[in-house]
Amino acid sequence: MQRSRWVGAGVLASALVLTSCSSGPAGVDAKQNKKATLELWTRTTPGGPGEQGAVKLAAAFQKATGYKVKVTAIFDDFETKLQQRAAQKKLPDIVMNDVTQLGAMHSQGLLREIDLDKVEDSDQITAQGLDSGKSVDGKQYGLPYSAQASALLIRKDWRQKLKLDVPETWDDFAAMAKAFTTRDPDGDGKKDTAGLAAPLSTKRGYASWYFSSFLWAAGGDFITEAGKGTYKPAMTSKASAEAVQWFRDLGCKDKAVQPGAVTMDTPPTNETFESGKTGMFVVGPYLLPRFDETLGKDKYEVVPMPKGPKDSTVLAEGGSVYLMAGSDNRAGQDAFASFAVSAEGQKTGMEGDTAYTVQLPVNKSVDISQVRPDPRWKTYAQAYQDSGRYAPSIPNWTPVRQATADTLNALMADCGLDTGTKLRELDKQLASILEEQGISAS
Amino acid sequence: MSLDQAEPAAASAAAPGVPGVRKPGGGAAAGRRRRDRRSGRWWTPWLFLAPALILFLYFKFIPMANALTMSFQDVQPYLGNRWVGTDNYATVLGSTGFREATWHTVVLAAGQTAGSMALGLALALLMEGQSRRLGFVRSAAFLPVVVPIAVVAELWRVMYHPTGDGMLNSLLGLVGWGPSGFINDPDTSMASIMLTGIWRGAPYDMMIFLAGLTSVDRGLYEAAKVDGASRWQRVWHVTVPGLRSVFSILFILAAIRGLRVFTEVFLLTNGGPDGSTEVVMTLIYKLGLEQNRLGVGAAGAVLLFVATLILTVVVQLLRRRESK
Repeated sequence: MQRSRWVGAGVLASALVLTSCSSGPAGVDAKQNKKATLELWTRTTPGGPGEQGAVKLAAAFQKATGYKVKVTAIFDDFETKLQQRAAQKKLPDIVMNDVTQLGAMHSQGLLREIDLDKVEDSDQITAQGLDSGKSVDGKQYGLPYSAQASALLIRKDWRQKLKLDVPETWDDFAAMAKAFTTRDPDGDGKKDTAGLAAPLSTKRGYASWYFSSFLWAAGGDFITEAGKGTYKPAMTSKASAEAVQWFRDLGCKDKAVQPGAVTMDTPPTNETFESGKTGMFVVGPYLLPRFDETLGKDKYEVVPMPKGPKDSTVLAEGGSVYLMAGSDNRAGQDAFASFAVSAEGQKTGMEGDTAYTVQLPVNKSVDISQVRPDPRWKTYAQAYQDSGRYAPSIPNWTPVRQATADTLNALMADCGLDTGTKLRELDKQLASILEEQGISAS
Repeated sequence: MSLDQAEPAAASAAAPGVPGVRKPGGGAAAGRRRRDRRSGRWWTPWLFLAPALILFLYFKFIPMANALTMSFQDVQPYLGNRWVGTDNYATVLGSTGFREATWHTVVLAAGQTAGSMALGLALALLMEGQSRRLGFVRSAAFLPVVVPIAVVAELWRVMYHPTGDGMLNSLLGLVGWGPSGFINDPDTSMASIMLTGIWRGAPYDMMIFLAGLTSVDRGLYEAAKVDGASRWQRVWHVTVPGLRSVFSILFILAAIRGLRVFTEVFLLTNGGPDGSTEVVMTLIYKLGLEQNRLGVGAAGAVLLFVATLILTVVVQLLRRRESK
């Protein structure tokens, strides 16, 4: 009996010993080999059109430069899998992932700096695009290859039935949302429609993500830059508070946001639009193919976001090329980054009906209508170039997005709350987040 | 059995010089030899346990120990983890809403446990018996447990639709109530999630109660009946005491399940609206995985583990004292 207890203890002790010797020092410079195959990870559904697009881009790159590339598509738990490779000190050479991942990957030491002199068309990349790849210290760690911006989708048949014009201002916007809610635009005699489709769940910070375009167009901000790479919270500023109040009134006063919005992320919200429960939706171009199929191209239209109190700024997003640390083929990495943003690379990335990697080009010399004649794409491209704004590249954007989403979700769910109090609480929370990341201005 | 009986005889035959083997107080060496013969080498049980132990070691104990180390580290796989002492614990305990999330978890766990057990017992009493039809009904009642939780959540989201034409709301409308916001209203969201949990948990409890009911002495029912006990009195004074051990097992299982509640909350509300359904697990998920701060997430997980452990040990101690 005594002995068996000792054996148990031994097993446990050895488990502890085994686990404690897992991590060593950071990876050193690898021996360079220009022939080495570049391993490319892209965050898209394996076997889906996104992967085909990446493979096509890689093939074009291989043909143009001679470097070999192996594409791996991963969607679920992309970041976790990257962490596993980081623990093995064997990162992929290139990662194509969301621009907002820059801070997280950079602070983990996973990225190497991109030398813009080695990127041929670097002067052709849109200014805001280039900035989105800079870390707080101003160095380039990511290079955007594809952009997205938001535009307003309107149920054209509803608008025409109620004899309304395309909204030009926020007042028009609110009026249309209200009309779609109260004036039975689908003509079934029931009050079962809502003006605006909005994913306002806290999941992944959707509420904050969706609200960004409204906040910025009003001249407000989540956090504002206070010089030298420092930030301070800005949700209590006059413009921010007014934007929040205006958006809140849409839901609380006019009841013009779809019921249940506060627990919906994007999939159920998309369904409300395509099933004729909502009439307006602010989204990126990636949903067009889907809505063309489910709703019909003639049923809805794509227009630029109406001008807010300040301007018509919209949230810009997209994918970046990241060159990972510890690669044994840095020349190949540089060549890929250069190719991905070149005119040729951008055009290749845009080709195809669904299997494309580039939504909107970041290269100013590329005209989207040459590759995609559909004028709706031009609307999006214009919105991106004129009014697109990225989330700032702070070390970790996620906590900021989550905190603001939590507050917005609360304000939209409970119409009895006091906006000012909630926003003051939020600013306090944002201040401590900035403090923790070492970028607080105060 | 037959081997065991044969062995001592063989032993005494093989060792004729030691006739006192079977007598009490015989030679100690001989006694041990006999025990060794009977039970094999000391490591034999370990050998049989080895496959399971190795699996547990690699898929349970090592990850658990890893989580424990990570909870004291700033986890940076590429740069190398950095020891930060108890910083992660301070972050979790000091994060906004941790106390609220703990309270919500306790409320949800208590509500779901009590609700599932009450409903489970009621179902079990209704479906006790041998009839063939009952078997079918029992299987049907058990279905919620078998359906994947993701499907359950989606199903309930549809039923909880917050307008008058929503499924549950149209039922409420029949009796002149509603429409309720259900999961979309901070005041009702917790109760709605609890209801979903009870719906899913009750049939599981029912099955265990059914198994327990078979062990209740039939004679006691008859005796109670003869003494003039009503149906309700029979349940209260015969069935419930007879199921005491089942209750405590179910309580531990349900409480642990309640503390670890994640999927239904994550899928239905993700802690919202206004943080009214934030539980410890969704908070850990947000802090650790969404924000990619694995050390902080690990610290939260360790805290939850300790809480579960304490709860289990306390219940076990109470049980032991009671059985004495």
